[in-house]
Amino acid sequence: MDKKNQWKAWLYLAPVLILMAIFTFYPIISTLVASFLKDYNNVTGENSGFTLYNYQYVLGLAERYEGSGVFYREFFSLNPADHSAFWNTMFITFVTVPISVVLSLLIAILIHSLKPFKKFFQTVFFMPYVTNVIAVGMVFSLLFSQFGIWNRLFGLSTAWLADNAATWESAMFVLCLYVIWSALPYKILIFLSGLEGIDRQYYEAAKIDGAGRLKTTWKVTVPLLSPQILYITVTSFIGAFKEYSSVVGLLGRSYTSDSLNNDMYTAVYWIYDQMKKDSWNTQSQFADAAAMILLAVIFLFTLIELWVSKKKVVYR
Amino acid sequence: MEIRIEHLNKEFPSRDKDGAPTKAVSDLDLVIKDGELMGLLGPSGCGKSTTLYMIAGLKDPTSGFIYFDEDDVTHLDPEKRGIGLVFQNYALYPHMTVYKNVEFPLTNLVIEEEQKAHDVAYEDTLQEVLLQQDALVACLEKRKGKRGNDTAIEELIRVFHITPSLAKEIATRIKKSEEGYAKSIEELLSLSKERKANSLKNWQDKGFVVDDHYVLLRDGKSTTVHRRLTKDERDTLVRETAKLVQIEDYLGRKPSELSGGQQQRVAIARALVKRPRVLLLDEPLSNLDARLRIQTREEIRRVQQATKITTVFVTHDQEEAMSICDRICVMENGEERQIGKPQDIYRNPNCIFVAKFLGTPPINVFRGIIKDGFLYLGEEPVLETPKALENQEVFVGIRPEGFLPLPKKKDLVFTLSVQEVVTQGRDTTLVFSSPLCEQEQGKAIIDSDIEIESGSHRFGIKPTKIYLFDKETGKRIPL
Repeated sequence: MDKKNQWKAWLYLAPVLILMAIFTFYPIISTLVASFLKDYNNVTGENSGFTLYNYQYVLGLAERYEGSGVFYREFFSLNPADHSAFWNTMFITFVTVPISVVLSLLIAILIHSLKPFKKFFQTVFFMPYVTNVIAVGMVFSLLFSQFGIWNRLFGLSTAWLADNAATWESAMFVLCLYVIWSALPYKILIFLSGLEGIDRQYYEAAKIDGAGRLKTTWKVTVPLLSPQILYITVTSFIGAFKEYSSVVGLLGRSYTSDSLNNDMYTAVYWIYDQMKKDSWNTQSQFADAAAMILLAVIFLFTLIELWVSKKKVVYR
Repeated sequence: MEIRIEHLNKEFPSRDKDGAPTKAVSDLDLVIKDGELMGLLGPSGCGKSTTLYMIAGLKDPTSGFIYFDEDDVTHLDPEKRGIGLVFQNYALYPHMTVYKNVEFPLTNLVIEEEQKAHDVAYEDTLQEVLLQQDALVACLEKRKGKRGNDTAIEELIRVFHITPSLAKEIATRIKKSEEGYAKSIEELLSLSKERKANSLKNWQDKGFVVDDHYVLLRDGKSTTVHRRLTKDERDTLVRETAKLVQIEDYLGRKPSELSGGQQQRVAIARALVKRPRVLLLDEPLSNLDARLRIQTREEIRRVQQATKITTVFVTHDQEEAMSICDRICVMENGEERQIGKPQDIYRNPNCIFVAKFLGTPPINVFRGIIKDGFLYLGEEPVLETPKALENQEVFVGIRPEGFLPLPKKKDLVFTLSVQEVVTQGRDTTLVFSSPLCEQEQGKAIIDSDIEIESGSHRFGIKPTKIYLFDKETGKRIPL
């Protein structure tokens, strides 16, 4: 574009840029700054200067110096068995994302191959998407209550989620199930629209070439769907790293049986609690540090995915 | 192989509930001879592609029969018909390299053959190559630089037409020493002889006799086995086919890195690689620019001539069909209008549709009257007609090259007002209009040596270039 018209382009972009500057760039930068300040007061802006302590604390490398009397669990601990917020998030991410991506791909391919009932199944599988997360969480907690359908179906009496009786394993199982289930519809939708976009001639060619159904799916459909698979994988990873509302919807609390244990924290849940631990809390430096770490982790994984995809993704 | 189509019908259900079904193809009879290049020609919607897809097995006929030689294939699955199909937009798999694209059909192929001692055959080929020392050394001398070994392997495959694994063994085992290659070759030769003896003994122990063609015989009988092609066999076929259509240099590329013409060649290679009985081409040139189109159609003709494979070629471009097909079948509204050699159809169209469809510029159609043994265009008698013809109104088709600009005095003439004179090289095109003409403008082509200016002119008409058609049915009226 020639220089004369450049100011016009900027003018058109201005509304979005201004909004993004106020609501995205400024908060990120101020979070970054605050995460390096000691005793930062987020109302007055007062602080005691530069420190790395916030990060040390969040990463479990330093003791907390103020004795507030309330036990706050570390964001990160080296031992995954401690069920710290970081490892819980990792666990949820690496269990739910692969399963839900593969499952939704299979379901999408199945729905796509249907002739009658296609619209019907499309609707059925899309239902969870338009349903409120908290409402779905409540339904799940009913399904998995002591006398819920799940227990009756399998003749069990497990306390999956109940206060003081549930274990980390049982709660995490239900949580992952719930996260996978609610993650399916959007993915199926994207995959279905991707499948619609694949030229029928590829399948006719495969048929002429004598490829069976499985081979056609694996050698033709999946590679041709790779842009959608990449998009879904990247966004799912980002979404799973930010998992929070599902825990609230399902459990309504951050622990299974011991209220001091906080073994169901996710990264975002931890950050939220740090901000909100007291109504008069004005200190957010630990939440800031944790948020920056989360941002870095998401960024890193997204880069890895894009790097891997460079060779594998084919744009038609 | 001969393709025989009998009373073929294809109906598509109507969109409305009670509407009559759409007839895409109706009562088509067609025989495509062995080794023939047959063109299906017609405007869009005439049923030519539908016919092709029924031959391919991708569409199921409503009724009628399709035979490949004596086999009824009407409802056979496409992969069992032994056909190769080239799609209009090529349908090359974008995620696979050219090599993989061409190889893909082979990976699905199950062949039936007599059980053979492939290990013995391998050693024999190896020994044969080792004995041609000069050529062998020439290949191995290419072993320079980082990827030298790969270059040598490719060279060996190219020169000796051997499998990759054989070439690999030669390239890895034969080393250059101070005395040259001789010693190393000698070693491999004796190793091969030893291995061959072992293999033969092995087969013998199992109770087999290996005959001259490596077929394994037990009690004098061979057994038939079904198997997939090995990687080596696939490689040989891919390379052979790539050579045929001249895409050897692009085997490592993705389709998106190729030009339209190259993609088309890859599509043809993919269709030909499994040695189909029939090659089907669906508007294969329509996505190419004008120059490539001419080049590629000659290419298709060359490949077809080289392979002598029965080919069906669908096109809406009459020039394309005329230039490469042995015979063409002109279709309209799902029905066959005329079948024959391109030039025969051009010279002798049997109806006004065929006459109009073939030829550029198109034939000029006039409204004429037959009266008392003469054909009248307007007031002018232009042609004597057989006495048997009744007086009637007719359509008169005159090919552009049928106008004689310098009629002799005694000739019957037709007066036209020439609006424009366009000289292009050896021909001059005269654009004329006439109230009798069905088209807004007619065209006549004359020798460019004849100077002519716009205005009213009298033309004679070549009797072989004028056709009369029935006003109602459009059928040709023989003269």
